[in-house]
Amino acid sequence: MIEAIIINGLISGGVYALLAVGFSLIFGVARIINIAHTAFYMLAAYFIYTFAHLLGLNPFLSVVLSVIIVILIGLVTYKLVIDPVREHGATTLIVTIALAIIFQEVMLIAFGGHFRGVPGLVSGYTEILGVKVTYQYLLTFGVVLVVLLGTWALLMKTKLGIAIRSTAQDREVANLMGINVARTGMMTMAIAVALAAIAGALVAPLRVLEPHMWMPPLVTILAIVVLGGLGSIKGSFIGAFILGFAETLVVFLVPSGAFLKGAVALTIMLIVILIRPEGLFGVAFEEER
Amino acid sequence: MNRVMKGAILLLLACFVMVAAGCPAPVVNEIKIGVIGPMAFVQGEHHWYGAQLAAEEINAQGGILVGDEWYQITLAQVDSNEMLSVTDAATAMEMAITVENVDFLVGGFRTEAVFAMQDVAMGYEVIFLGCGAATVELCTLVADDYETYKYWFRVTPINSSYLGMVDFLLLGMVAEEIRAELGIETPKVAILAEMAVWADSIVAAAYVYLPAMGMEIVGEWRPSPIATEVMAELSAIEAAGAHIIFTTISGPLGITYARQWGELEIPAASVGINVEAQKEGFWDATVGKGNYEMTMNTYARVNITDETIPFIDRFVESAGEFPTYNAGTYEALYILKAAIERAGTLDSDAVVAELENTDRIGTAGRIVFTDAHDVTWGPGYVTGLGVQWQDGEMKCVWPPADGSWEGVVYEGAVDYVLPPWMVEYWAP
Amino acid sequence: MGTISIYIGRLYKDFKGGILVLPSRTIAFFFCLLLLLIPLITTEPYILRVLILSSIFAIFAASWDLLSGYTGQMNFGHALFFGVAAYTSALLNLHVGLPPWLTIPLGALAAVLAGLIVGVPCLRLRGPYLALATLAFPLILTGIIFVIPGITGGELGISGIDPLSGSRLTDYYIAVILMLGLGFVMWKITASKTGLIFHAIREDEVAVRASGINTTRYKLLAFCLSGLFAGVAGGMYVHFMRIAGPSTLELMLSFQAIIWVIFGGIATIYGPIAGVFILYPFMEFLRIIPEIRMLVFATLVVLILLFMPEGLTTWVRDKIEKECPRCKLRNIATRKSCRVCRADLD
Repeated sequence: MIEAIIINGLISGGVYALLAVGFSLIFGVARIINIAHTAFYMLAAYFIYTFAHLLGLNPFLSVVLSVIIVILIGLVTYKLVIDPVREHGATTLIVTIALAIIFQEVMLIAFGGHFRGVPGLVSGYTEILGVKVTYQYLLTFGVVLVVLLGTWALLMKTKLGIAIRSTAQDREVANLMGINVARTGMMTMAIAVALAAIAGALVAPLRVLEPHMWMPPLVTILAIVVLGGLGSIKGSFIGAFILGFAETLVVFLVPSGAFLKGAVALTIMLIVILIRPEGLFGVAFEEER
Repeated sequence: MNRVMKGAILLLLACFVMVAAGCPAPVVNEIKIGVIGPMAFVQGEHHWYGAQLAAEEINAQGGILVGDEWYQITLAQVDSNEMLSVTDAATAMEMAITVENVDFLVGGFRTEAVFAMQDVAMGYEVIFLGCGAATVELCTLVADDYETYKYWFRVTPINSSYLGMVDFLLLGMVAEEIRAELGIETPKVAILAEMAVWADSIVAAAYVYLPAMGMEIVGEWRPSPIATEVMAELSAIEAAGAHIIFTTISGPLGITYARQWGELEIPAASVGINVEAQKEGFWDATVGKGNYEMTMNTYARVNITDETIPFIDRFVESAGEFPTYNAGTYEALYILKAAIERAGTLDSDAVVAELENTDRIGTAGRIVFTDAHDVTWGPGYVTGLGVQWQDGEMKCVWPPADGSWEGVVYEGAVDYVLPPWMVEYWAP
Repeated sequence: MGTISIYIGRLYKDFKGGILVLPSRTIAFFFCLLLLLIPLITTEPYILRVLILSSIFAIFAASWDLLSGYTGQMNFGHALFFGVAAYTSALLNLHVGLPPWLTIPLGALAAVLAGLIVGVPCLRLRGPYLALATLAFPLILTGIIFVIPGITGGELGISGIDPLSGSRLTDYYIAVILMLGLGFVMWKITASKTGLIFHAIREDEVAVRASGINTTRYKLLAFCLSGLFAGVAGGMYVHFMRIAGPSTLELMLSFQAIIWVIFGGIATIYGPIAGVFILYPFMEFLRIIPEIRMLVFATLVVLILLFMPEGLTTWVRDKIEKECPRCKLRNIATRKSCRVCRADLD
C-alpha cells in the first residue's frame, strides 16, 4: 500500500505542478491573478482534439500546433484586454474571469456540452513497484520535471530570465534600468500560457474534455500556489506534491471519505498560511504602503 | 368638398387595411408544451429531441382531440441552465408559465433544480412531467401533500430505490458469472459510489444485501460527484483484491473511471450505474478503453416493447444520436395526449385525474403511475436494462437472454462477458 | 392648512436642495421611486420575480462591497455568508418551525458568526493570500455538507421551506424595501467615521494604526457587518426560492458578487446595486438568445471594463458631476463654480 501511495502521490503531484507553475509565474512577474489560466489549458485540449481526432493529424504535430495557437491567443488577449486594465487589480481579476467564461462559451457553441476524450500521446501501462501506472501519467511526470528545469534555467541563466525576475521584484526600477517592462510582461504571459497548453496536451487525456473542465483544477491550483507562496516557482512545485500526497492519503486511508480530498487540500492550505501568512516559500512583504 | 370626400375614403381604406391586418388568421387550437432542461447539455438536448419527435408525430396525425376539437401541439424550448444555476432554473420555469403561457411542462434533470422548478410549477397548478431526476423524494411530496404536489408525475427514469433493485440484480448476475467461470465462490466487491444522497441508499443497501447474496465487501470508495479523476481509487481497489467494482457514478467521472479501468486492466468486473456509459458518445470519450463496462440503462436496441426499436430508429434519424433516458419526454407527450383526450378538457385537475389512470405500452415498457405519481417498476412494467459495451456496441445483457429473471426476455439481448484480462488474471 | 403647506414647502425645498442638486442623487431617487411604483404598471409574476432576485442579490453584492471594496480585504468566498445563512434559516424553519421574519435575522446572525470565524484567522493575511484563503471556506463547508446528508440533504438540499409571505406582491415589497433600507444603512455606514476608517485601512493600514486606531477591530467589524447583510440576502433567498442547496455556496456565486460590484463601481455601495439591477435583468433579457447568453454577458463585462475600468457608476458620475478642488464637495458638471464655496471648478 505504501508503494501505491508514493507512486500515486508523485503522479497527481506532477499533474498539479504542471498546471500551477505557469499560474505562479504570471502572478509573480505581472501580479495578475489569471483566473483564465486553466481556460488556456482547456483551449489547448480542444485544439488537440480537433487536430488529432477530427482532422487526423499526427498527435505530436497536433500538440505543437495547439501550443502555438494557444500562445497566440494568450498574447492577443493579454494585449487587448488584460494589459489595459492591469493597474486596477480587482478589474483585472474580473476580466480574467470573464475571459475564461468567454472561452468556455465559445467552445460550448463550437463543440456542445458533450463529454469527449482526447487521445493520449502514448497508451498502455507499466508496473512500478507492483503499482500499475499508465505511460501517459509517466510521460506527464517526466515532462513536468523537464519543464520545471527548463523554466528554472530560463529564469536563472538567461538575460530574459533576469529581466523577468527583476520586473517581478520591482517594476519601476526595472524600467529605469532599461528593461522593456511591457515586452517582459508579454514574454512571461507567453511562457505561462505555453505551460498551460502543454498541460492541456498531457493532462487532458487523463481527464474528460468538456467546456467546463477549467473550473475543477482552478481551485486546486489556487490552493497550491498560495500554499507554496505566491510567485515562488519552487513553492508551487513543492506545494503541488504536498497536496498530491495529501489527496492520495485521503483516498487510501479513508476510502469512504474520498470525496473530502478537495476539502482536505484546502484545509491544509489554510493551516499553512495561517501559520506562515506568506506561504511556504513566498517573500514576506514588508508592511506595504 | 371633393377633397374632404377623398380624404375620408382614404382614411376609411386605411382603417380597413389596419383592421384586416390586425384580424387574426383562422383560429388554430394549440396546446403549448414547455420542454425545460439544460439545453447546452446532452440531457436538455435529448429532452428537446424526444419531445420534438413526439410533437411532430402527434401533429401529423391531426393533433390532440379535446372534446370534439383538434388541438395542435406547439413546443416551447425552455433553457433552465440548471447545471450552472438553480436560481436560473426556477426563473426559467416561472417565465415559461407566466410569460410564454405554456399549458404543460416536461423535462428537468438536476435534482436540486428540479425541486425548485417543481415548486414553481405546483404553485401555478401546472402539470409537470419529470423526465430526468430519479430522487424518490420528488414523488414522496405527492404522497405527503397530495393537493399541492399532485401536478407532478415522473415518467422517467425509475426512481432511485428501484434503480437500486436493478443494480443488485445486475451485480448478482455478474457474481454468478464469476462463480461459474472462475470458480470464485465469494467474490470480493469494491464499492465505488459518488458522494451523493441518491448513491447513499444504494451503498447502505449493499451492506445489507451483498453478504446475503454471497459476496464480500472489501471497501467503500466515495469520490466527490465533481471529482475529475480516480487514479488513486483504482490503485487502492486493485490493492484490495476486488473481483467486482460496484459503481454508482452520474457525472463525467464515469468516463475517466472507465478509461483508466480499461487502460490499466484492473482485474475486476465493473458493474452498476455509470450514467455516462449509457450514452452513445461513451465509446469515443473513453477512446475505446471503456470496453466491457456495464451499466444500467433505459434504452438499448432490444425489443422491450414493439415501440422500442422503431422509436430508437426515428430518434437516431432525427437527432443523430442514440437516445438517453431523458428522451422519455417522447413518452411524456404521448401520455399527456392520452390523458387530455380521455379528460376531454385542458383543465389541470381533470387531466391529473386521467394521468393517474395512465396505462400505456411505451418505448421503455408499460407505464403505470403509482399513488405517488411515480413510474412503476417490475416485470411487466418498466424494468430497466443492463447494458454492456462490447467492441464499440452497447448490448443489452439484462434481463438475461435465458429468461432467468422472472421469465422476462427482450428480443436482441446477448450474454454478459467478463473482461478477458480479468479472466486471465483470476483463471484457476 | 397653512402648516401643511409650510411643511410641503419645506419638503419641496429639502427635495430640491438635497436631491435635485446632484444628478446622481436624482437618478437614485427616481430609481427608488420607480421600484416602488412598478407594481402599478405591471404585476407580471415573472418580472416581479426577476426584480425580487435582483434585490436579494443587490444586498449580497453591496455587502461584498462594504467589506472588500471599502477595507480592501478581498473576499473571494463571499458565498460562505450567503450559504451559512441559507442553511441556518432553512433548518430553523423546517425543524424548529420558526417563521421567516425570525429565521432570516437568525440566519444573518449565523453569517456574522461565520464572519468572525473567517475573519479572526484571516487577519494576518494580506492581498491575494487573503483572497485565496477566503475562497477555501465555502468549498470546505460544501465538503462538510456532504458529510452530514442526514441534516443538510446533501446534493438535494433542504426543500419544503415556508414561503416569504405567500403573495408575490408582498414578497416584492419586502425584498425591495429591505434592499433599499439596507442599501441606505450600508451607505450611511460607509459615510460615517467607521466608513472613513475602512477607507483608510484600504489605502494605508500602517498609517491608520499609527493614528492610534485598532485596525484589527475595524477589519473584524467589516467582516461581521458584511456577513450580516449577506446573511439577510441568503435568508431571503431561501424563503423565496424555498430550497437551500449546495448551489448557495458555489464558487460562481462568489465570483458573481465580485462581477456585479466591479461592473457597477467598487467602494460606492450604490454601484453594486446598480450593477445587479443592470446585469441581472439583462441576463434575463438574453434568454431570447439562450445559446450565446453567457457569451454576450461575459463579452459585455469585458468591454465595459475596458472602457470604464473603475466601473459603470463611477464612470457615469465622473461624467455628470465634478468634485470641487477646494472643499471636495460634488457639483453637477454644468456648473462653473462650486455650489458651496464658489471656487472655480475647471
